[in-house]
Amino acid sequence: MRSLAPFSAFIALLLTAGPGTAQVSEGQWVSYRDAYRMMVAFEKYGKGKHFIQNHFQVMPKDKNLAPDGLQLSLQGNNISLNLPLDATGRTVFPLLKSAYDENAALVLNRKVDQHVFRSRISIVVRPDGVYEAHDLRTACEQALAYQRSVEGSPRGGRCAGVRFVFARGTQDPGVRLRKGEGDALTTVDGPAFPGDAYQLYRVVNFRFAAASDNSHVVTQNAPLAINPIVE
Amino acid sequence: MKNLLSLACALFPARFSALVPALLFGGACTGAHAQTPANNPMPDGSRDLYLGLGLVSQNAYQGGAERRLRALPLVQLEWSNGVFIAGMSAGMHLSQRPGLEYGPLLALQVKRSGDGNGASLGDVSSASASEQALPGVLRRQGSGANALLGMDKIKARVQAGVFANYYLTPTLRLTNNVLYGAGNQRDGLLWNVALQHTAPDLTAHHRITYSAGVTLVNRRHNASFFGVTDSEALASGHGAYAPRGGVQDVNLGARWNWAISPDWIVTSGARVTRLQGDARHSPLVQRPTSFSMSSGLAYRF
Repeated sequence: MRSLAPFSAFIALLLTAGPGTAQVSEGQWVSYRDAYRMMVAFEKYGKGKHFIQNHFQVMPKDKNLAPDGLQLSLQGNNISLNLPLDATGRTVFPLLKSAYDENAALVLNRKVDQHVFRSRISIVVRPDGVYEAHDLRTACEQALAYQRSVEGSPRGGRCAGVRFVFARGTQDPGVRLRKGEGDALTTVDGPAFPGDAYQLYRVVNFRFAAASDNSHVVTQNAPLAINPIVE
Repeated sequence: MKNLLSLACALFPARFSALVPALLFGGACTGAHAQTPANNPMPDGSRDLYLGLGLVSQNAYQGGAERRLRALPLVQLEWSNGVFIAGMSAGMHLSQRPGLEYGPLLALQVKRSGDGNGASLGDVSSASASEQALPGVLRRQGSGANALLGMDKIKARVQAGVFANYYLTPTLRLTNNVLYGAGNQRDGLLWNVALQHTAPDLTAHHRITYSAGVTLVNRRHNASFFGVTDSEALASGHGAYAPRGGVQDVNLGARWNWAISPDWIVTSGARVTRLQGDARHSPLVQRPTSFSMSSGLAYRF
């Protein structure tokens, strides 16, 4: 009889546990608690971060698939929250104690095994579209310092520039060095963020070595994202 | 005894594997005692609790030939203040620096009697926490002579020490656990050092962690668990044996965690341990290489 005691205790435990997390479709969820632990690191980061921001990103692993049509929501017994994703698959992550405590789930409208979930650091987009090169360098260094901090280990590389990301198909994103008739920067196809499988965004790389610190980068159209280039 | 702990701690790696491993490295439990969770922030006042039940097949004691199948409760609890309980270990995270984990650690060393590690069915001689936590023997395999017959019972002990883990890369960490207090004289010192690697980005709900480690002990620790005193020699028929300290064993481990729902997780593991040095040559050792397998189901509260 004694050998059955652990099993009996376990069953009793389950009966007292109450209802679990709200029903989620098989294979279409990830743990909110685990995501929370990843995303809260940016909130708790105490060093300079006024030029950078943190988002939760969902991206398909298939290089032929853009994050179009993806829908993410936070589901729990007492919470239901839609988390709209932008064109790069990112959303502002809600840091909610209530969702953490009830072990809520992040529910995707696709199989999660075919997607990657990441924390993504980017540079804040300015509404006037004018960026001082010095500020971009500072922003890149803030992002690199944060990445080094959360990884907890020395990370090689240095800030070489920033990448302006635009929607696929954009012919001329209008990113120029200096105002007026300044030099237009080259636009190529590429990923929104390092490691993304989908690489058909239109990206413009601005390298610090190509301009002085007091120069400006001007964007006619608001980019989807601005990312540090670390080499 | 180590295998019991390795199963009990098995829940720690159950992290969000599809997320960037750099930011979520739950780590695996390969140390003999300190099964420490990574430094995982959570809301103030919150906690993360796993409770469940599992089975482990292991040697009756380290070096023994007899195998046993046991049921084990699974417990892992973390609070937002850094205090954690994992199986028969408890401690507190003090580091505020990502990539470095350290803090005090307590671990229960289960008793070893002539019947092997832990309490056997019907054994009511002790009311220690370890024995309350250990279930009865469900089934025994093998019938080799028990080399512990005639040996003194080694009492359950609470060991105290520290843990310190350092992340070499986001998916590779070096773990260290130092514990003191094992053995009847409470003077056994153990240092387990291991490398743990987590396979990155396997799938969203699966996580596999590998480890390789070595356990070093002082002379008194080896003497407690692998030595034979003169009186024990008379009672057991073994020759007296006084092992020195040094490397006690080397080990390899693997753990697979499968989150089958936000609330439920299946955790499974395997571990191979090979005794080394004077421990290996002890007359109590019937098989220097031991192998354990475990699997369990736990609910996340």
